[in-house]
Amino acid sequence: MLPTQIPAAVRSRLRGLRLTTRRDAGGAGLGQHASRSRGAGLEFAQYRAYEPGDDLRRIDWKLYARSDRHFVREAERDSPLELWILIDATASMRQADLARPDYAKFDAARLLAACAIEIALRQGDGFGIATFGGSPPCLLAPGAGARQRDRCLIELARVQAAGQWPAAGPAREAAARIASHALVLLLSDFFDAAALELARRLAAAGREVLTLQILAADERDFPFRGGRRFLDPESALERQAEAGAVREEFLRRFALARAGLARECATLGIRHGEHWLDEPLDAPLQRLFAVPEVRR
Amino acid sequence: MSLGLLAPLGLVALLALGVPLLLHLIRRSELIDTAFAALRWIPARALPRRRLRVERPWLLLLRLLLLGLLALLLARLVLVDAAVAPYRDAIMVAPGADVASARAQLGAAGQWRWLAPGFPLLEAAPAPGPTATASLLRELDALAPAGARLRVVVPRTLDGLDGERPQLAHAIDWIVVDGSAPSAIAPATAAVRVHVRHADNADAALAYLRAALAAWNLREPARYTLDAQPLAAGLPADHGWLLWLGAAAPAALTSWVEQGGTALLAPATATRGRVLWRDGDGRVLARVEARGAGRLITLPASLAPADLPWLLDADFPDRLLAALRGSPAAPTRAFAATSAPAVGGMAATGASAAALHGARALDGWLAWAIAVLFVLERLLATRRREGVRG
Repeated sequence: MLPTQIPAAVRSRLRGLRLTTRRDAGGAGLGQHASRSRGAGLEFAQYRAYEPGDDLRRIDWKLYARSDRHFVREAERDSPLELWILIDATASMRQADLARPDYAKFDAARLLAACAIEIALRQGDGFGIATFGGSPPCLLAPGAGARQRDRCLIELARVQAAGQWPAAGPAREAAARIASHALVLLLSDFFDAAALELARRLAAAGREVLTLQILAADERDFPFRGGRRFLDPESALERQAEAGAVREEFLRRFALARAGLARECATLGIRHGEHWLDEPLDAPLQRLFAVPEVRR
Repeated sequence: MSLGLLAPLGLVALLALGVPLLLHLIRRSELIDTAFAALRWIPARALPRRRLRVERPWLLLLRLLLLGLLALLLARLVLVDAAVAPYRDAIMVAPGADVASARAQLGAAGQWRWLAPGFPLLEAAPAPGPTATASLLRELDALAPAGARLRVVVPRTLDGLDGERPQLAHAIDWIVVDGSAPSAIAPATAAVRVHVRHADNADAALAYLRAALAAWNLREPARYTLDAQPLAAGLPADHGWLLWLGAAAPAALTSWVEQGGTALLAPATATRGRVLWRDGDGRVLARVEARGAGRLITLPASLAPADLPWLLDADFPDRLLAALRGSPAAPTRAFAATSAPAVGGMAATGASAAALHGARALDGWLAWAIAVLFVLERLLATRRREGVRG
């Protein structure tokens, strides 16, 4: 079983989710990318029976000649939406809970990416992925369709979280070339300042950015006891502490940092969410992609 | 009944108790490595404090107990029967003393005991024969509790003394009454029968021996008599002096000597024993060897002038007499009045010697307990620890 295979329960709950953009929420004008809108276009989609009111030009006369019936030729319109999923694969994403040591932040990030891909695929949107750090790094330009999805999932399954946030490299260059109409989903623990910096740059460039901070339950509960030597997975940094004594202070500081990140994202116009490792996978997606009330 | 230590210095081994304590404490203060990406929000100032909580307290307790028992084993733990230890207030009577006059002098009260091995009560008959009075006095001194006053009734003539007047730690009442201690030494005037067993060709030697005896009897008239018989007559019945002239002494001779006889073998080969006679050239002429209660003198040469020119010397009788008599015994008898023990010896040994008396060693029990504890400790220490990863 691939580590990117979505659990069945989660998959069933994804059905109610849609990738939405600010433009949709604004309800500006015609067209709604999220629906599978059919009409004139290059990509053939299907034939359907003529109904009164259809444009006569769209009747396939050659088919009429063969079958003596009126059929309307429908084509799939190019989706205007491109979903870029940027995943933090630095060593800090290897963090897991004491209670579930084989399920790291990166595993959660992969599954969340798979969920987003699933939704995008259902909507007919294009999607691409890029990892920052990790080995081997993974970069797939946006595309649509089931084959693109499989490619993405297989590539993602191969990645191991390792190393530091790259100062340069294909992922950063790809991020710089993200199209203006793209929707960017950034999955990270945001322990690297570079992650927030990337989000800020994309937001400033007018891209629509969604950030999802993935956090371990241990970082919320701090269940450690006794003398501990805390080791940073990304650097040689270590901190010796009496866990029971520093708990309060750590929780306070960590909550402050989280609140600061949320505030920063709000200022930048970024939709921001948090995901704890011990909560259901789709919970953050529900919060991020809940269909806005405005639309109903 | 109480517990005592024969070697209290062994308790220094209790210092080893610190080792398991230290081990269990040091292990506790080890830090557990934890990968934690969010460590930058952990305050740096709260260093882990030293914890005094011990790890696996039962194992520690077992180890401490084990070491404690080992220390007790080294310190020679004994069970002391307090009832036996002191002959406090006992009146010691040396054998030979006139008990009746002593009772008249001291009164009948008190516990009367013989100054004899084991210090039996006076009602029991004393062991016959002489007692080592000086040694017994020292034993009594060591056994008596500190501050006690010894009362010893001695006869006018005391036996069993040695070269030094006893130095006692306790004050002593030296009560001299009439009587005389039994003596081991026969009076010097007793007649001595000199047995000679000679081979047929050793007749010539007899003449020299007769001459020697005549010389002895000149000084001590009629004390020495000669009993000359051929070898076939065998060993004499009494344990006197025996001169075995001729080869092949019977095997029974050895046991005869060990029972107190003095025998001279000539000629005989011997490599053991002290050299008794040596001629002008340094050749060994006679050896003497103590065998049991008796002595065995061996001459490599036969008693003939050709082999032993000393036979012709004027001092041969004296040499022979000295050889047969052996060295004179050390004097052991003295007047009690002049041999009262001196007071002011070492008192320090008193306590431990008193403790030793009537003490029962517990080494075996301790060893068993240690073995059992060791097995338990191994079981506990090597058991898989639950709930600990890695």
